[in-house]
Amino acid sequence: MSTSQRVIIVGGGLAGLAASVRIAEAGVPVDLFSMVPVKRSHSVCAQGGINACNEVARQQGYSEYQHFDETIYGGDFLADQGPVLEMCNWAPKIINLLDRMGVPFNRTSEGRHDLRLFGGSLFKRTHFSGATTGQQLLYALDEQTRRYESEGKISKYEFWEFLAPIIVGEGAERRCVGIVAQDMRTMQIRSFRGDAVVMATGGCGLIFGKSTNSVICTGGAASRCYQAGAWYANGEMIQVHPTAIPGADKCRLMSESARGEGGRVWVPRQKGDKRAARQIPDSERWYFLEEKYPAYGNLVPRDIATREIFDVCVNMGMGIDGGNMVYLDLTHKDPEYLTEKLGGIMEIYEKFVGVDPRHEPMKIFPSVHYSMGGMWTTFTPGSYQPSQPAGGHKSGSKPPIGTEVGVGMTFGAANNMMTNIRGLYAFGEVNFAYHGATRLGANALLSCIFDGLYNGVSVVNYIQQDVPSQHPAEKMKAEVFEAGVACERAKVDRLLGTVDKGSGDPAFNPYVIAREMGDEMTAASTVVKTGPRLQQCLSKLGELKERYRQVRLGDAAGWTNQTLSFTRAVGDMLILAEVIARCGLLREESRGSHKRLDFPERDDARFLKTSVAEFVPGTGEPRIFWRDVQTSLVKLRARTYGKVESGEGRKQPEAAASAS
Amino acid sequence: MDNGQGFVQRNYFLLRRLHSLTGVIPIGAFMLIHLTTNSSILWGALNGRAHAETAIGRGVETFQDEVSFINGMPLLLLIEILVLWLPIAFHAVFGVAFALTASNNVAQYGYWGNKRYILQRLSGYLGFAFILYHVATLRWGWEWLTPAGTAWSHYFATSTLAAALKGDGGQWTVPGIIVSIGYFIGVSALVFHFANGLLTASITWGIAVSQEARQRWGYMCTALGAVVMLLAWSALAGFVFLVDHDEALQIERRMVELKYGREFLEEIEQEHLNRPEMEASAIRRAAEAPYPGPAPVIHE
Amino acid sequence: MSNTAKGGVKARNVIFRIKRCEGPGKPSRWEAFKVPVEPNANVISCLNWIAANPVTIDGKQTTPVVWDSNCLEEVCGACTMLINGRVRQSCSCLIDAYAPNEGDTITLEPMSKFPVVRDLWVDRQRLFWGLKKVKAWVPIDGTYSLGEGPRETPEHQHDRYIMSTCMSCACCLEACPQYHKEDDQNKWDRSYVGAAVVNQARLFNEHGTGQVLKPERLDALMGPGGLDACGKSENCVKVCPKHIPLVESIAAVNRALTIHGFKRVFSGQ
Repeated sequence: MSTSQRVIIVGGGLAGLAASVRIAEAGVPVDLFSMVPVKRSHSVCAQGGINACNEVARQQGYSEYQHFDETIYGGDFLADQGPVLEMCNWAPKIINLLDRMGVPFNRTSEGRHDLRLFGGSLFKRTHFSGATTGQQLLYALDEQTRRYESEGKISKYEFWEFLAPIIVGEGAERRCVGIVAQDMRTMQIRSFRGDAVVMATGGCGLIFGKSTNSVICTGGAASRCYQAGAWYANGEMIQVHPTAIPGADKCRLMSESARGEGGRVWVPRQKGDKRAARQIPDSERWYFLEEKYPAYGNLVPRDIATREIFDVCVNMGMGIDGGNMVYLDLTHKDPEYLTEKLGGIMEIYEKFVGVDPRHEPMKIFPSVHYSMGGMWTTFTPGSYQPSQPAGGHKSGSKPPIGTEVGVGMTFGAANNMMTNIRGLYAFGEVNFAYHGATRLGANALLSCIFDGLYNGVSVVNYIQQDVPSQHPAEKMKAEVFEAGVACERAKVDRLLGTVDKGSGDPAFNPYVIAREMGDEMTAASTVVKTGPRLQQCLSKLGELKERYRQVRLGDAAGWTNQTLSFTRAVGDMLILAEVIARCGLLREESRGSHKRLDFPERDDARFLKTSVAEFVPGTGEPRIFWRDVQTSLVKLRARTYGKVESGEGRKQPEAAASAS
Repeated sequence: MDNGQGFVQRNYFLLRRLHSLTGVIPIGAFMLIHLTTNSSILWGALNGRAHAETAIGRGVETFQDEVSFINGMPLLLLIEILVLWLPIAFHAVFGVAFALTASNNVAQYGYWGNKRYILQRLSGYLGFAFILYHVATLRWGWEWLTPAGTAWSHYFATSTLAAALKGDGGQWTVPGIIVSIGYFIGVSALVFHFANGLLTASITWGIAVSQEARQRWGYMCTALGAVVMLLAWSALAGFVFLVDHDEALQIERRMVELKYGREFLEEIEQEHLNRPEMEASAIRRAAEAPYPGPAPVIHE
Repeated sequence: MSNTAKGGVKARNVIFRIKRCEGPGKPSRWEAFKVPVEPNANVISCLNWIAANPVTIDGKQTTPVVWDSNCLEEVCGACTMLINGRVRQSCSCLIDAYAPNEGDTITLEPMSKFPVVRDLWVDRQRLFWGLKKVKAWVPIDGTYSLGEGPRETPEHQHDRYIMSTCMSCACCLEACPQYHKEDDQNKWDRSYVGAAVVNQARLFNEHGTGQVLKPERLDALMGPGGLDACGKSENCVKVCPKHIPLVESIAAVNRALTIHGFKRVFSGQ
């Protein structure tokens, strides 16, 4: 092993920080890149919690295996099953580690971890820290990162933007040996050598304009890797969260934990009822989720809740005041209890809407939230390889497999979460690995940290035992790095050369192009999709790409030029948007979050497959192909969540809670 | 750590704590005693050992008695230097140096805490200036700074004080009005500075930590401040508005006479005859007045 | 998905006066923009509008305003700036509350206690540096699987949670009359660390394992740039958007320092 080997990590959210800590701990120096101080990464926005089976849940009949089964079922069987099994098995260890790092998880009177109910489960198995769990987890990892930083083991490059991976070799021999990045303040562009590069750059919500995502969640970094040859998988799987507050700049999330703590979704039974919420008696409220899904009630998975809300508002016109809003009601709970358990989101609603949700039902509507799809990654399957996949797991029964390390995915295998380019890894939301066609609430934090901790070891093994140990990046010729920088420099020069000193034609204004892309993608490629609409979307994207070629910047500054950064990202977002829309068009079925009105059923024969997009450099268009999904652990079954057809619904608002 | 840093830098923590401490002990404690003494001009009316006919006369007696007691203490100057001058000098110099590190922003952030923060610094400056004046005129004998050049005498504590506040012979003069108002502002500033300093000392020392505890501490400091403010104002009002200069002088003369004898009285009266016009004439008048006989006054 | 219609909001124009600066060492200037206000508009959405239409009120073409932001839901701390002279997050600053009428003016300035990078974007590295100074972390024995952390009561968790919601936005530092701008990184060690950092020191002193480093944290806060620079204006707690009891944290650390100081004196260190 070369002593000068280094690992580059791009992104300082939960996945990036967990990986940084894990890799630095193994004695490998880490260069950590982030567009924002890592403490401000988008992970702070996660609210509800993090799932893990704990002893209380276990004694009620829950198990890691059931967590796994729920996650696969929730994701409509589109996720490769091995990594999911491994993640769920590891979850309790992650909770303990975070606990040791000082995360203030809510406690029971005995001082143990409190649990709450979350979507897609009938068991309380979600650990939480108020309603700002993501923030608390991120801070814990940020603190550990700072500790290693002060010991010189991690070097932070904050306010640096990732521009491109540096890749050498051809075909299957391609290997990532570094990155090109730009200092967002000085605008300096330079290359960095790394024996492995971990992308942990999160989702791409901004492609949809207003989403619950942060302003850096453009998907730009993933798109740049895709354009450099990395595959992009299941791009069409975009989660629309059922409960958000629409704002002028973004949609703000109202955590699923609001429903986990007893929040009820309803609209007035009387269409066009103008009365204030509190004046509508219980009998005149339509708790449509509870009625349609007696077992799970308000805690059906997000795609289902979203479509039901969409149906009620858009198709039936039953939204509040005929608009696109439904009530999310917590007013029947004790205000102090709400402050204790949900203070974070109570405050957000109060600050941004100006109404106290402890006393007035919240008005919410779905918003784009998470990308299950992402950079394609592979893995080495684990030791559990049953002859027959197991059937749906019944709570309380013995799991077919234990929780030993490596049953689902081989621990330390160099290719775990590696992309199709050697040495280029994707961790966290930016990969496609764990959530299939829908992510269950409170599984995102888990998958991000799991990637960093479990697969960080794979990165270390790769650089120490694989090609980099023989041919370290440090010894590579300078030309390839210089070429990478020159290429990015040329892009920047071209953009800066367009600076429009005239009146500014909106057709070529990057902000206008981005807004039109967002509106189009939201309209065509979110809750419900159709072939013709996606076709229309693709031609709109084509038009926008054409306009983007003539884009004009409004700022020529050679110092802290945000317009440049944004405009560059818009180009990359358009390319990724095309992947999302194209895969959505080709997937002629409905699965999880992907609902095609023209193909309303799940089609396992044709589409129990991962959509994979490969960038074709000549045309700039995606080449899309399909890969089999690993389904050898759990047998396929219909994903209904016990839906009853209208009319026969029994009112069981507390059914979910009492089951646990 | 020590390299390149001065003594103050290295010991900043200790000095800051000492600064906080000196404000309470001995300076604050002394102020309490001092104002208690001074306000005896009013509460002396209730002093069972005083025998003057008027209430204010009993106040004069009591105040004179207190003053005499203090002036009879051994090693007074040494005590003053160690317990007063040095702590005050340190508290003031360090306080000013610390206050100069502030960038005040009360215009943008007009919270009560921030206003108190400004007032604490202002009252510190004002209070220190007042102390200098107060001590210079009444202790160091810089009588040229008093309204009529009156020198305070601890034998004639009330009458000379009234003169030093208002003007020659305890009659109002224009400079006297200014000085009296100055006293009002000065003592008010000092009392505020003391009470607010005590309030923030709960943070400095971590005496009261939680919001509730600090609030309770705040009530206590406010109450204490109000009481002390009342003492200060009542003393000042007593000397300025209530004291009859000539009556006070008579009582003081009798007390001196009883304590030290007639000869001594005449001796110091002679000294005072060299004093400003009205004061001297008052003494002359008093001396020439028919001797009232050994009226019962406090004497040891 | 952006049904934002909210009854009763008047369509109107709001004037934004923005203090602009091309970069460190460059002079600053004021520019005004007339921005049509959408329903539910906040300062961010107005800055977004200006970015797409960078024309001043006098019709002069200018560059889009540069500012720092990320989550837009007041939990990342990035978009802090001076709005009408007072520090706060711009994302949670709703236009309806600040400029209810046609032609009302809103003033935006960068924070004054940190070096300006460009326009409204400032460099708050010093705050993160302060977190290193006080070792604001739990010194765990690595990420191995070593069982649970220390148990704690719900009350204790509650107290720690509130302290732990600090998003390093630096409002408390901006409003502190004892905290001063310091461009020279070499002088940070002797300049007041500020309430946010003191609060983090307390947070980790309160943790079962984190308290191992308590003496080191207290030593750091006892030396130059430590807590003795606090002037008790209590502005920090007033401007904290997360309602963290910062004065309580200062008092608590001061109490620990009192005890620590005595210990040091009597153990002869």
